[in-house]
Amino acid sequence: MVTVEAPVIGITVLYFIAIIVIGYYSRQRLKSATDYYVAGRQVGAVVNGLALESTYLSPASMLGLPAYVFIIGYPFWWAMAAIIAGMPIATLLTASALRKYAPTSFADYYADRYNDERLRWLVGIVTVIAAVLYITLSIVGMALFLLAVAKVPYIIGLIVGTVIVMLYVVWGGMIATSWNAAFQAALMTIAAVIAAIAIVSSLGGINGFYEAVAANNPKFWNTPSDPQPPHVFSGTWIAVIGWFFVWHYGFATMPYTVVRFFTTMDIKTARRSIFWCTLFAGIFYVALQVIGASSKLMIETGPMSGTGANAVEILKGYMAKYGVGGWPDYSMIAAVEALQNPWVLGILCAGGLAIAMSTAAGWVMVVNTLLTRDWGSMLLKSKFAQERPILLARIVSVVFLAVGFIVAINPPGLVLDLSGWAFVVIISALGPGLILGLWWKRATRAAMWTTAIIMTVLHLYAWLKAKLVLGHHAFFFLNDVLFGNKAALITPHQVWAIPVGFILFIVVSLITKPPQEEVVQKYCVELTQEV
Amino acid sequence: MPWPPKVFWVGVVLYYGFTALCWIAEATSGINHIVGAPFWYAAILGTFLIPLFMSVIYFYFPEKAEEARGGGA
Repeated sequence: MVTVEAPVIGITVLYFIAIIVIGYYSRQRLKSATDYYVAGRQVGAVVNGLALESTYLSPASMLGLPAYVFIIGYPFWWAMAAIIAGMPIATLLTASALRKYAPTSFADYYADRYNDERLRWLVGIVTVIAAVLYITLSIVGMALFLLAVAKVPYIIGLIVGTVIVMLYVVWGGMIATSWNAAFQAALMTIAAVIAAIAIVSSLGGINGFYEAVAANNPKFWNTPSDPQPPHVFSGTWIAVIGWFFVWHYGFATMPYTVVRFFTTMDIKTARRSIFWCTLFAGIFYVALQVIGASSKLMIETGPMSGTGANAVEILKGYMAKYGVGGWPDYSMIAAVEALQNPWVLGILCAGGLAIAMSTAAGWVMVVNTLLTRDWGSMLLKSKFAQERPILLARIVSVVFLAVGFIVAINPPGLVLDLSGWAFVVIISALGPGLILGLWWKRATRAAMWTTAIIMTVLHLYAWLKAKLVLGHHAFFFLNDVLFGNKAALITPHQVWAIPVGFILFIVVSLITKPPQEEVVQKYCVELTQEV
Repeated sequence: MPWPPKVFWVGVVLYYGFTALCWIAEATSGINHIVGAPFWYAAILGTFLIPLFMSVIYFYFPEKAEEARGGGA
């Protein structure tokens, strides 16, 4: 019989009750389809800022990130820094202009700016693929936290997590999603900060933490300029720069953050919400940097360790014990378990559930709006979609969560890995059309179609070739052809795809017919004036 | 051609400039080996304070400009 300490169960149950109550009461404020899709555009700066944080940062931050940090070493801290710095950059790059425009769905801007309703299909298809992958990853994340921390059987964890997200998304749509995501952001930030403070205190302060990490992992603080870099993935400055930029522009272009800019009261609130997001996410990520750096040490000296214990072997033991996900997914849980404090572990469990649930709900809201309003009502002219939009949106939400649940029952490793692909493909396929559509008059419809189709297909091929043929998705997919060495060039998450997407978009725009002046004036010039 | 406001470029230059300086200092002087130093410059400054400062100037100056024009958004 596995025993779980009372604080872990108590905090987890309290968390579930809180989000169910928030979801139930937000139902009373739901009066129209606009309330369901974009929370009636009444979300304030603090709530939206917190919701942005928990929605944008995926469960990977609370699962495998510590393992990435201790393996790739201190240079990975800069990738985490760039994720946070990408938040304010979005303020004036996309958030202000898009809030001024005040669309309802992620596809609205593309259809209007490029004067082509069929783009709702294209943007929708790319987004739906990414949504299924992310929702599955999030549901697996929820169940994994319940399994490894609260010792709830995996299938029960899947059911509990999925049903609760279903309840609050169905009840309150974007209103419930926003308030719950804000609560979840506060919780996951508090969880990470408490764990980080507990670790640093146990190691004797900041300097003690630095020295203890260096003693346990002598290459950890090295950079590519040192004789022994921490890992081949951080072995050159090109690789470090690659890691730095790979997630940097996601905040400005990812559907689940972009739609949150539509929910704010006004442009001023949209800008201020990014301040709150940066504040909380910055604190959260500093805490994760500390936990990641020290996780190897904590795991190797914790209750699971033995003489000469190795963190990777211990984490493989976790994976063998629980049978879900990969060994890095247990790094946060194992590092915090090493503290042997049930209160910290309980808060970590609630924080892990929070980050997973908020990401799942955020994606569900993106796709239910796209399928109900854009596809059902506007493109297919469905009477049901036009007359009962909230009911259809609720049905779509249940279907997507059910699909994620079914895939999550026995999740193929490739599906979980592909969520990383989905992140980059959205930025490279749809990002150029969004950013250049706002800031470059010459951006054309042909470029939008070409970039979205080519980058989606090319990036899928490149990712699969790197992963399945060369051995790791972080290898440049042409390494064998160009250099005769599969690991010659490290390009994390195919970071080349983002500049290639932008270059392709610019070239096609320059060789195709310029857009109509009045469309450009309305959706490019006027939106970007005085952002 | 639309062009982001000057304050956008101030934030961008500040952040990328700071990062580049840190990397140059690491490559040439090995500041990453000063006990505790990476926590202060990469975590506290690079991950928290400088992005936070950017987010402040990105709402403060546009709001100030709106007030000067005599209206809100």
